[in-house]
Amino acid sequence: MTIQIKLFGDLRKKAQTEAPTGGSPITLTIDDPKLERVSDILRKLGIEETEVSHIFINGKYSGLRKKVQSNDIVSLFPKNMGLLYKWYFHRDEDE
Amino acid sequence: MTNLKAKYEDLPEDYKALGGRGLTSTIVAKEVPPTCDPIGLHNKLVFAPGIVTGSTAPTSGRISVGGKSPLTGGIKEANAGTNFSQRLARLRIAAIVVEGKVKGNEYYLLKLTKDKTEFLKADKWVGKGLYDAYKEIFKEFGEKKVSVCGVGIAAELRGAMAGISFNDPEGLPSRYAGRGGLGAVMASKGLKFIVVDDTGAPGFEIANKKVFDEGIAKVRDALLAHSVTKKGGALNSYGTSVLVNIINEAQGLPQNNFSSGQDKRAEKISGEAKAEAIKKNGGVRPHFCSPGCIIQCSEVWTKPGGKDPVGCLEYESVWALGANCGIYDLDIVAELNRACNDLGTDTIETGGTIAVAMEGGVIKFGDGKGALSLTEEIRKKTPLGRILANGTQFTGRAFGVSRIPTVKGQSLPAYDPRAIKGIGVTYATTPMGADHTAGYAIATEIMGVGGKADPRDPKKAELSRNLQLATAAIDASGYCLFIAFAILDIPEGLQGVVESLNGVLGTNLTVNDVSVIGKQIIDIERDFNKAAGFTSAHDRLPEFFIDEKLPPSNEVFNVSNEELDSVF
Repeated sequence: MTIQIKLFGDLRKKAQTEAPTGGSPITLTIDDPKLERVSDILRKLGIEETEVSHIFINGKYSGLRKKVQSNDIVSLFPKNMGLLYKWYFHRDEDE
Repeated sequence: MTNLKAKYEDLPEDYKALGGRGLTSTIVAKEVPPTCDPIGLHNKLVFAPGIVTGSTAPTSGRISVGGKSPLTGGIKEANAGTNFSQRLARLRIAAIVVEGKVKGNEYYLLKLTKDKTEFLKADKWVGKGLYDAYKEIFKEFGEKKVSVCGVGIAAELRGAMAGISFNDPEGLPSRYAGRGGLGAVMASKGLKFIVVDDTGAPGFEIANKKVFDEGIAKVRDALLAHSVTKKGGALNSYGTSVLVNIINEAQGLPQNNFSSGQDKRAEKISGEAKAEAIKKNGGVRPHFCSPGCIIQCSEVWTKPGGKDPVGCLEYESVWALGANCGIYDLDIVAELNRACNDLGTDTIETGGTIAVAMEGGVIKFGDGKGALSLTEEIRKKTPLGRILANGTQFTGRAFGVSRIPTVKGQSLPAYDPRAIKGIGVTYATTPMGADHTAGYAIATEIMGVGGKADPRDPKKAELSRNLQLATAAIDASGYCLFIAFAILDIPEGLQGVVESLNGVLGTNLTVNDVSVIGKQIIDIERDFNKAAGFTSAHDRLPEFFIDEKLPPSNEVFNVSNEELDSVF
């Protein structure tokens, strides 16, 4: 399945492309039938779970166990961008 | 101000445990007739530092300003971070109540020192920008000795978006008690500046030092440990505008007068872009708004070479003057922010005003130079400037716009309520008008609020109620609201806040009292608004949020009126 991953802030370093500038995320397109959940994506990119704050899937606030579908856009923010009025956002998860 | 006389009174016994918003709302509710003209004789303007402000409590340099709002017609508390608050507190001034009205058209500067108060003529600064005025005032009264509070040209016009500015550590007029037009109230009384010199001040009083010291140590530990508030954390690294890319990904960042919730260009005005530019241009980042803050979310934006400092570019300002106007150029957003600081306007209201002017065809969406020229209309005091200075609702009506994003006349902040419905409930029901900080919070778990709801699930009433109560309590304490991020997750931090209050006041509050304190403040405010003519019909969002789908999520605000009415 083909998924787009948007890496923001310091997480852009995980993309191993040229040094990121400004506020633009780095978008990776990944085609891998073995990816089931967000946690699988992190493992594939060499990102520790503790390095991530916010996770959005197609704009929905999500958790590490959320399952992904083909053509999903997964946005990942690093720990030092963890600001949010969390009380208005609940992480969508799959068991 | 009628007789240019100052009177000192001991703090009444039943006010002893009040501070900040608790004190301003109590005094306003007691002494201001709810149906009075906000820029008339009977309104009052109350300044109050928080309960722990002026002590060694970390991140507590906050001041509340209260009165009847010319923008909403209801009670208002606006809050700023500035060392002005700490100088007042060290002078043991719990509140300044400004009442009456100068007879003619003159303006005064109120000078406060340990031994006297003086009313000095301030007419030489009428029509002047606040950046220059502050420079001159600091030169005249002593840069290192004083703090300054002032209102600008927008207030001289009695514009309902005029805010009250305070100095930052560089002496720039960049810290604002911005919302609700309290600047117009100050100017209507003939008061243009307050200068406080705390040389020789008696210093902050603490009832029980041991309890206080233990409490603030816990607060300090929580702030230093949490990823949002610690050194190198979100606020310290990027400031509040770290939220631009986050809320844009959440599809809730309003673009072009709330027409959509996402735009790829938002990344150009993000916190990350700003931090990089400040480094390149020789500005200052991070930075504190007042001494003793260990979060240090603030900064000084400059032009290249460190020239022409503006002050900080907050998330709300960057959104309002940027994305909401279709402007995605940080240099232009910074100049718009400078104009707001210079003219003395609330950046959120200014952005909302420019956006409805764009929708009304005055200039086009995305026209940065046009937006700057609109601010010049205010400076030149033209009829168009006078319309704009009265805010989003007034300007929208003047140009035949029906999609006006306000509640109780106040412009919505940087979260679309269709994408983030819980905040929409807060916008609708807080006594303050559309306000994002009113529903800011303390530990939802500790407060007994289940955090289980989907952000798009409408059952938000209980959450909003508890958040508003907790926020009101923090607004009274003198701590900056941003401590909430840390004490949400670290219960010892919340315990520490309560202990520090007990240490100062000699009380025996517990964590459970926080929502009680908050409720008392909200009840006072709601009662005032009711007497001023507000009904449940005012606790609603504009209908376009219910009718119009927000791209790209295509959500609408579908929280029922019954649920909105159940919040309080």
